[in-house]
Amino acid sequence: MVMGFQVALQPANLLFCFLGVLIGTLVGVLPGLGPVAAISLLLPTTFHVTPVSAIIMLAGIYYGAMYGGSTTSILVNIPGEAASVVTCLDGYKMARQGRAGPALGIAAFGSFIAGTIGVVGLMLIAPPLAEMALKFGPPEYFSLMIMGLTILTFLASGPMWKALLMAAFGLFLGCIGMDTLMGATRFTFDILELSDGVGLVPVVMGLFGISEVLLNVEQSMERSIFETKIRNLLPNLKDWADSLPAILRGTGMGFFLGVLPGGGAVISSFVSYAVEKKVSKHPEKFGTGVIQGVAGPESANNAATGGAFIPLLTLGIPANSVMAILLGAMMIHGMQPGPMLVKEQPGLFWGAITSMYLGNVMLLVLNLPLIGLWVKVLKVPYPILFPLILLFCLIGAYSLNNSIVEVAIMVIFGLLGYLFKKFEYEAAPLVLALVLGPMLETALRRSLLLSAGDPTIFLTRPISAVLMLIALFLLAYPLVPWLRKRGRGLPKGEAKD
Amino acid sequence: MSRINNDQASAAVWFIVGLMITIASVPYGLGTLDSPGTGFLPFLAGMAITLLSFIGLLHATLKRRMGVGWKPMMRGVIWKKSLIVLVALFAYALLLKALGFFLATALFIGFLLRAVQPQRWPVVMAGAVGTAVGAYGIFEVWLKAQLPKGPWGF
Repeated sequence: MVMGFQVALQPANLLFCFLGVLIGTLVGVLPGLGPVAAISLLLPTTFHVTPVSAIIMLAGIYYGAMYGGSTTSILVNIPGEAASVVTCLDGYKMARQGRAGPALGIAAFGSFIAGTIGVVGLMLIAPPLAEMALKFGPPEYFSLMIMGLTILTFLASGPMWKALLMAAFGLFLGCIGMDTLMGATRFTFDILELSDGVGLVPVVMGLFGISEVLLNVEQSMERSIFETKIRNLLPNLKDWADSLPAILRGTGMGFFLGVLPGGGAVISSFVSYAVEKKVSKHPEKFGTGVIQGVAGPESANNAATGGAFIPLLTLGIPANSVMAILLGAMMIHGMQPGPMLVKEQPGLFWGAITSMYLGNVMLLVLNLPLIGLWVKVLKVPYPILFPLILLFCLIGAYSLNNSIVEVAIMVIFGLLGYLFKKFEYEAAPLVLALVLGPMLETALRRSLLLSAGDPTIFLTRPISAVLMLIALFLLAYPLVPWLRKRGRGLPKGEAKD
Repeated sequence: MSRINNDQASAAVWFIVGLMITIASVPYGLGTLDSPGTGFLPFLAGMAITLLSFIGLLHATLKRRMGVGWKPMMRGVIWKKSLIVLVALFAYALLLKALGFFLATALFIGFLLRAVQPQRWPVVMAGAVGTAVGAYGIFEVWLKAQLPKGPWGF
């Protein structure tokens, strides 16, 4: 821990932490540019700095975006990024009632408290979990990845077959390129760039950045910012009394859901809102400008960011698409996240964690006085903004390998992402499967080699069996209401998806 | 009411994609269970896509019978704008090497500013040149990214 502070407090690392949270907040404020696209975009710019500084900055973008996202939700009723969607419900109503200040204030304080507690949790849980992960063999890793993918598909909106299908397509995309065990190439069509596989960065920028712009430009591009004097950013005593339990509950849930592979900030914020409504004495007031409706979800999405680092740093498994990009970034910088990271590179491990403490303090200082500036940023008209977003994505994709192929991949996935959204397919399972694909394939083939071709190896080893059973339960769960209704003799059509 | 709904259409496309992946995986060698080959996982992924899209097709057909029809996806939106952006993106990717970063970027930004939601010409010109100069300065000069140079050397 002391070593971590020694690393994080180095002037260069402080500067990169500051840059990360500043860019993250800006990205969070701007609708249509999320942390995934921003981290992908800025990844090539970190090639010239040390791995620790790079990870500190990229992590700062992630949790900074969670802070910034609330500003647009509250002031414009447009979520800056997906984890702040639910903040619109009460945050914007509070702004309409002249309480934009306390809404923004409690979002910032709640985020700070949750972010800090999340980092403490990460600090306490990560090392023992890494110790335990040393006992994991290929079957355990395979089952864990299957469970992570299943959780993500289970939590995805819409029918489960769609989410599973996207995960299967992501697995296929992950197979493109060199087969690491045999050395043969697959599905490369003689394109040299594909022998290293389909790059995660162009895929993610296409699916999340380009497609978002395509969807936004075809809508009316007029947006009005609610004109109000933002004053009294410090919440009063009653606001604090109302919000504190919501902040603590949101923190606990957010952290827990963040740790689960497939969970994350978006889901945590929705769950937190639902819980706050459930425990409230006046649930009917939710949606009319209740401060708990801002405090809970904003705390949850920030706590989730801390939690999400746990599977990445201890198991080398990304819990969501942002962590997948960070995993890629760490590998590019020559690090191998996993149980050995804490032992082999303690400076990086603890430096990254302690930088998050400092980053949270910076964010609190940044957010409250700079809210006026963020509002001005929001006033940049979208017809001026979107060409810049596209250009950043294009440069980001090109500069990865100085290759037009990467640009073409990004544009193609931009079109695919647009179609996925039109046909209501979620892209997140695809991205997670694309990242996990090569690891999952290696674990599967090694497990089968280990067991001389006996697939029951996944069920005969205790940890693997538990993980597999959880995955099977989640896969079977959507059938329960259908079977129950059939059992009662109701018409089939009334069963839910 | 239309004959098919959105999910039926998309599931049918996925079914074909799944079959193609499955078939294309075989020549890479499936191996055996105790020694899986290069085509093993893509084959499984292709099979999974085929199976899941078939389930989706059945599910969507049941919904169709319950009255869930085609949901227009382009109603209430100006789809021509997204088409213009998409064409501009492909054109940029094609012309970047030939024209060089500076000119390709200026043309790209200028075109988008004028074609999607028409801005005044001074805004278009200033935006196009200013963005190209700024991006060149940040990425090429400051961050030392090796952006493609046209016949003019920039």
